[in-house]
Amino acid sequence: MKWTPADIEKFEKSPEYVDTAVVPLFPVSFANGMKETAAMTEFTSLLTSQLERQLQGRILLTPGFSYLKSSRFPVVEQLKDWETDMLDKQFNHVFYVTSDSDWKQHEAMLQGTLLWIPSLPLQHMDEKAKQSVMEDQIRQLMNLFIQKWRDAEAE
Amino acid sequence: MSKDRVSRRQFLNYTLLGVGGFMAAGMVMPMARFAIDPVLKANASGDFVATKVKVADITEEPQRVDFKFDQVDAWYESEETGTAWVYKNENGEIVALSPVCKHLGCTVDWNADEKNQNMFFCPCHYGLYEKDGTNVPGTPPLAPLDVYPYQEKDGILYLGKAQPREGA
Repeated sequence: MKWTPADIEKFEKSPEYVDTAVVPLFPVSFANGMKETAAMTEFTSLLTSQLERQLQGRILLTPGFSYLKSSRFPVVEQLKDWETDMLDKQFNHVFYVTSDSDWKQHEAMLQGTLLWIPSLPLQHMDEKAKQSVMEDQIRQLMNLFIQKWRDAEAE
Repeated sequence: MSKDRVSRRQFLNYTLLGVGGFMAAGMVMPMARFAIDPVLKANASGDFVATKVKVADITEEPQRVDFKFDQVDAWYESEETGTAWVYKNENGEIVALSPVCKHLGCTVDWNADEKNQNMFFCPCHYGLYEKDGTNVPGTPPLAPLDVYPYQEKDGILYLGKAQPREGA
């Protein structure tokens, strides 16, 4: 489900079925690396929105968590704030999807699952190649989700 | 000099008439075009969208068929990809099922669960559908999968808008 009033309404009707929150992490930089962060943001948002289409009955796609890459304030703390709130509510699983490898260092601080997917140079691909590449990525990503759900249910 | 000379008055009259006529036509023509536009626009196939699949290539095993259609979302027009599961049933009729789970809208997959062979399977809450799209009682979905109306034209499969069916 998306972060739209219509979907949230559906979510509130049957919250017991939607137990997974997906938070895309979007890096923003205005110094050098501006283009890279833009590419990462584009890739992550495309990936998560496609993923939402496939698994919309069980995941809630939150608005992207955008952060300044050169921020003087600890970004992880802020995300942990989100996480605590989400886990306190009905969500059993929280997934973070990002292309920014910096998050790998902070993975241990987070309870949710961090999925780091290196971004692909989509702007240089034609429409058809883009589609098949994305489809492939999404299929693999979906399996991670399904596996995680299965594992949690087996426990 | 010919006998019937055109007088200055006549000449001016003709010219004015000609130019005036053109101007009037220039104004009326677009209006008329706008007025009858819906008539000219009607396309033969209606809302049916062409897929890349040849009818002859459809087997008894459901295959995924992607097709593209334009969708207008308020002011934003985008090209959406639709998907259908297409196969021929025992009677040789084409069946095109929507992959959208009737429970909460996840995408169902054919034959994806080892425990439930030859069924449509929803990975989100383990909903099951028979090959003909009927929901299996006891699993979350309460209605069968939607069916696309289809047309065959020049050997190519055309799909319409998915229609819901009554629950099992």
